[in-house]
Amino acid sequence: MSQFLVKEGVKNQIRKGEKLVATHCCYCGMQCGMHIRVNEKTNKVVGVEPRYDWVLTKGKMCPKGVTAYQTIDHPDRIKRPLIKKNGQFVESSWEEALDLIERKYKEIQGEYGRDAIGVYGGVSMTNEKCYLVGKYARVALGTRYIDYNGRYCMSSAAGGFNKTLGMDRGSTLPWTELEHSDCFFMAGSNTAECHPTSIQWFWKAKDKGAKIIVADPRETPTARVADVHLDLLPGTDSALANGIMHLLIKHDYVDTEYVNERCNNFEELKEMTARFTPEYTAKLTGIAVEKIVKAAHIFGKSPRSVVMFARGAEQQTKGVDNVSLYTSMALLRGQIGKFASGVATLTGQGNGQGGREHGQKADALPGYRKITNPKDREYIAGVWGIEPEEMPQEGVSAYEMFNLMEAKTIRGLHVICSNPVVSSPNINYVQKALEGLDFLVVNDFFLSETAELADVVLPTATWAEDEGTTTNTEGRVIRIRKVVDPIGESKPDWEIMQLIAERMGKGKFFPYKEPREIFDELRIASKGGKADYYGVTYEKIDAQDGVFWPAPAEDHMGTPSVFKDKFATEDGKANLAVCDWREPGEIPNTGYPLWLTTGRVVFHYLTGNQTRRVGFLMDQCPEPFVEIHPELASQYQIQNGERVKISTPRGEMTAPARITKAIRKDTLFVPYHWGKEQSINQLTSPALDPFSRMPEFKVCAVKLEKLTK
Amino acid sequence: MNKIMYLEFERCIGCRACQAACRECGDHDAKERNYVEYVDFTESRQTFPMLCMQCKDPACARVCPANAIQITEEGVVLSAMEEKCIGCRNCTFGCPFGIPKFDFEKNKMYKCDMCYDRTREGISPMCASVCPSDAIRFIDFDEMQELRRRRTQMNLIEGKKPQEGNKWDYVPEFFGVYTDSNQ
Ligand code: SF4
Ligand code: SF4
Ligand code: SF4
Repeated sequence: MSQFLVKEGVKNQIRKGEKLVATHCCYCGMQCGMHIRVNEKTNKVVGVEPRYDWVLTKGKMCPKGVTAYQTIDHPDRIKRPLIKKNGQFVESSWEEALDLIERKYKEIQGEYGRDAIGVYGGVSMTNEKCYLVGKYARVALGTRYIDYNGRYCMSSAAGGFNKTLGMDRGSTLPWTELEHSDCFFMAGSNTAECHPTSIQWFWKAKDKGAKIIVADPRETPTARVADVHLDLLPGTDSALANGIMHLLIKHDYVDTEYVNERCNNFEELKEMTARFTPEYTAKLTGIAVEKIVKAAHIFGKSPRSVVMFARGAEQQTKGVDNVSLYTSMALLRGQIGKFASGVATLTGQGNGQGGREHGQKADALPGYRKITNPKDREYIAGVWGIEPEEMPQEGVSAYEMFNLMEAKTIRGLHVICSNPVVSSPNINYVQKALEGLDFLVVNDFFLSETAELADVVLPTATWAEDEGTTTNTEGRVIRIRKVVDPIGESKPDWEIMQLIAERMGKGKFFPYKEPREIFDELRIASKGGKADYYGVTYEKIDAQDGVFWPAPAEDHMGTPSVFKDKFATEDGKANLAVCDWREPGEIPNTGYPLWLTTGRVVFHYLTGNQTRRVGFLMDQCPEPFVEIHPELASQYQIQNGERVKISTPRGEMTAPARITKAIRKDTLFVPYHWGKEQSINQLTSPALDPFSRMPEFKVCAVKLEKLTK
Repeated sequence: MNKIMYLEFERCIGCRACQAACRECGDHDAKERNYVEYVDFTESRQTFPMLCMQCKDPACARVCPANAIQITEEGVVLSAMEEKCIGCRNCTFGCPFGIPKFDFEKNKMYKCDMCYDRTREGISPMCASVCPSDAIRFIDFDEMQELRRRRTQMNLIEGKKPQEGNKWDYVPEFFGVYTDSNQ
């Protein structure tokens, strides 16, 4: 068990008979530093204490972080394996559960081939586990079908960054530099609610005169304080970015030297953006011309600016276009690779960065290697001790896996750290696909909506019951510490994968005794790749408050700012994005005349499987709601608090109306943290981005109805 | 020690981390003592935090017939003493800011004590520690004065002038002076 206590010289309240263990929050990509209070006698978690010395967050936490410890010793924890018998879950021994899994896996694979078992991973867990999920699928099960919930989260950002910059590190700069920036252009990010502790940096900058531009259909708490709020229609980011670049070029704000030296495609971009005049942009985006012009001038004049975006811009059929175009805005201004400027995506899940780097994705191998590249296959096969020919081929994206389940190509599934019947779009379809499986295994520590459908539920340890590392939104690798032993018979996911691997006769490929050994293997597996962790060690993380990848050598300090001299593309130059306007997958029509967009509230995390079990958070936000502008509400004769019905061709739900002027008049907003009949994902569109295969959660056409008494 | 609670209402993002954290403080019995309210949700998402002003001459203590509300030497107005509080709830009505809360199960009042357990040791109160948006801060008196001057200066740079309707935007309010040694 970790004995890491408070840093010397930092004053914390340490109560008698208690000790503090320094770790990080389990939820979003900010990965706020925190101490967990442990009673030394009982060895139970008793509370939380701020971690003032953590560089990025300085002791600050959002309400999820403050209450996170309450999920550890929670009465709902699953403590023994559950096997479904006659439609009911019955507690069982590990022996029995593993016997069943072994028998079923072998049966299904024997009859339908190895690819008939799929693996569905997640990134709300450590790098060690995320890495092992990829290896588990390919080596223990030998299946090509593996993908993960990051497909719904970071895939468009990854696609866009790879296209323009040649490498996907969520932030090109460390966020401690943000206080020195002069301008933030934030698109599709409800930053204050989704990454609350980042706000302190924006205030620091604002206190020195920095400007904030926010593009969002809603007047979020960040938009409220912005210098310009670009209240765009959902799904029109690409038009906005093209429009801003049109003005940057027109008003000579382009850093010509930088662009000539470091970027390709400028002429093509100029030609493309020529048509995006403020008037045309205003027509597509629904933003007033003056606002677009004002934003372009503020952004253009700022010597140091950071362009930031999140799921609002990424969860679209144009997600990759949007990311590439916003990134190009920063490139035109010559910002990337310089002090206090650059581009960043706000990572949604705790380890959304690290978890996407090491081979949990259908087409990826550790260190951002490609499963389609023979050299990469060979290298990783070597690290894993298998023949390159044994390495499965590329699989399909998360949502497409459900198509394959429907088609009976995938007949068994192992879900690790995810809750896809709440988080996927069009969940009525997804639920049917999962119900149609011959065999479903789910690892979780609470009985999620997905776990309810399982044949076997394996109880896992929470983040506080295991060691490991995560990589925060900046690209900084940090340490998660074991605070207490796993509750009941629960086990960390890596141990579970190891046990199943043994049953599948592949035990010798999984010889780990502790997470550190997995990390050391990951370091070698990622060595030479773009996300190179070779020089990251647990000791170095402690010694220097985290290590930014890439760290390609043992004595390398890490790389806080990337792309200083060149980009990671083949010719070292960034590729400016040339993307024309495309309509969203679905637009309002006579039957469904309004726009629907979804998002988070500050009190809940992802599918709410954890936060919906915390009293304080549920008190604040017990159920989903529909945000409606008063003018729209008046047309439908809807009162505040009244339950309304909303529907799309895929599904319908009712929820109370929350009337506020802080949203566009033609758009409804519903948060997505609830399951079953409370889930807005019954309604959302499964249209996929052609490049990243990201579903279009953020845009679809919807019908609003007043319920008759 | 000479520290004060410094609030900047317009920074509040309504996350209520301050309330979740208040429950975590020493003898707070998992009950929060602070408030976060919307100004008017129909108009905007603006919220604001509210905590005890630690008044110099606290109405709650003055109206308490049992003398149950103690004021520490640092000027912190504590929750009612368990053995003295008779549960009459005068304090909850007496406070002009509506700060004291009442625990009907235990039949006693409880309120913000500036996390006396912590601040006594010079450690920031829970709400000010966690507030992700720096809407609540626990800072030196001098730093506070500097911040107020800075605010005026920023307004000068931006060419803004306070008017009747928005003067709150110009003078950040502070309260809860922890000691009066600087008065
Ligand atoms: S959820 Fe995110 S912002 Fe909130 S405490 Fe956890 S890491 Fe910090
Ligand atoms: S923690 Fe800060 S930002 Fe959050 S509600 Fe409280 S005062 Fe407002
Ligand atoms: S100072 Fe302490 S008691 Fe007062 S509101 Fe803040 S956390 Fe609660």
